[in-house]
Amino acid sequence: MTLDQLRAKAAERRQTCTQIKKMIVSRLDLEIEPDWITDDQPLFGRGLELDSLDVLELYVAIEAEFGVALYDSEMAVFGSVSRLADEVNPALRATT
Amino acid sequence: MATVLANLHPEGTVYGEVGDSSVPLRFSASSDEYRVLRERAAVLDLSGNRLIEITGPAAVDFAQRLLARDVEYLTSERCMMSLVLDENGQVVDQVLAFGRENGILLESSCGAGTRLLEHLEEHNDEGVVITDRSADLTVLALEGPYAWGVVGRLIDGELASLPFESVVETDWNGTEIIFARTGFTGEYGYQMIVPIEAAAELWCQALEHAGAAGQEALELAMLEVRQPIPRHEATAGASVIEIGANWLVDVTKDEFVGREAVLAAFESGQGRRTVGFTGGDSIPEVGARVLAGGEDIGEVVHAVHSAGLGATLGLARVDAELAAAGLEFTVGGVEVTTLTSPYIVPKSWSIPII
Repeated sequence: MTLDQLRAKAAERRQTCTQIKKMIVSRLDLEIEPDWITDDQPLFGRGLELDSLDVLELYVAIEAEFGVALYDSEMAVFGSVSRLADEVNPALRATT
Repeated sequence: MATVLANLHPEGTVYGEVGDSSVPLRFSASSDEYRVLRERAAVLDLSGNRLIEITGPAAVDFAQRLLARDVEYLTSERCMMSLVLDENGQVVDQVLAFGRENGILLESSCGAGTRLLEHLEEHNDEGVVITDRSADLTVLALEGPYAWGVVGRLIDGELASLPFESVVETDWNGTEIIFARTGFTGEYGYQMIVPIEAAAELWCQALEHAGAAGQEALELAMLEVRQPIPRHEATAGASVIEIGANWLVDVTKDEFVGREAVLAAFESGQGRRTVGFTGGDSIPEVGARVLAGGEDIGEVVHAVHSAGLGATLGLARVDAELAAAGLEFTVGGVEVTTLTSPYIVPKSWSIPII
């Protein structure tokens, strides 16, 4: 891939991640700017310190925002914002 | 500083100098110890983590000013992880802070105790009492998907299901210890702060139920879940934002050392960002150039062989606009792919405590 193609691919992921971060901050009423959340930080326990009630809220929010139902998914999909991005926008998934 | 358990560790134990400490890197084969940690339960000798007690009437105010997260209401039943920064927003250390009745107890990262202690003393405007407790206390830890079972057999099964970052003082074998639900690797994790004279017995008893793992296995498992490892990642000049350790800083807090510098770095949007990568069998050196489309976009910060992935796993610090998962870069002539975190899904996420 050329540098421009890589930049475009990174920008697409960034756009999805930003959308997820805004959704998390808004739905869970967090007092931080969405961009303060990094793509790779843990979300539950360590990191953003979300709990199981927050997960339920996010299930609903993700379905409303992205039309993707994650109810039966393993907890790993909530491993990070970037991991969630793979779920709501499968085009982003690494090819390897 | 050598581990107080040195005379208990097997003859072939490989030690390494990490900052100010000599710590067991591995007791046997790191890959075996890693598997114990990821698949069963590992006991860890964390004597390289320095314990520093802050007491006095202004102890909490002092800690609140020096730590990047909010510890004002940290009771003796809670602990939390936080960065400690200098005025330029550079990472001094990543600590575990335990609320105590008479102040706060800080646990440094491995080998960083001397630097942390100096930093605290230099900033002691409040006149608090800062005491290095490493002469009388040490830290043992349990990590693994079945570490909760070891807690049950070793101490008390009810402690295994404490909420994350809960702390209790409990009796073990007639000795008072501080027990905390913590964790660095995404697996169930617990720490025991124990008097040095009781550490050997606790270590030996823990070994009846868990396998010993050294610093190499621990750091690999930390890397795999993107738990910052300051000694590898906090390179000179790198901001918290570039390291990606924002979550260990609370910018909603009005004041702490380094706050303005961190906010300035965040608001500027400049600099590089850190992303994980995998690919190839060779381990690139720290500083190896990272190329994208033939252009130099950054460098390798840390890389190891991941027993979990069966391949090289590393962190690269690259131009912010290219710090994203799912991209193909070249490192040392080898194609690598950037990753989403966690790079390995901890088994504990699918195993309930019973």
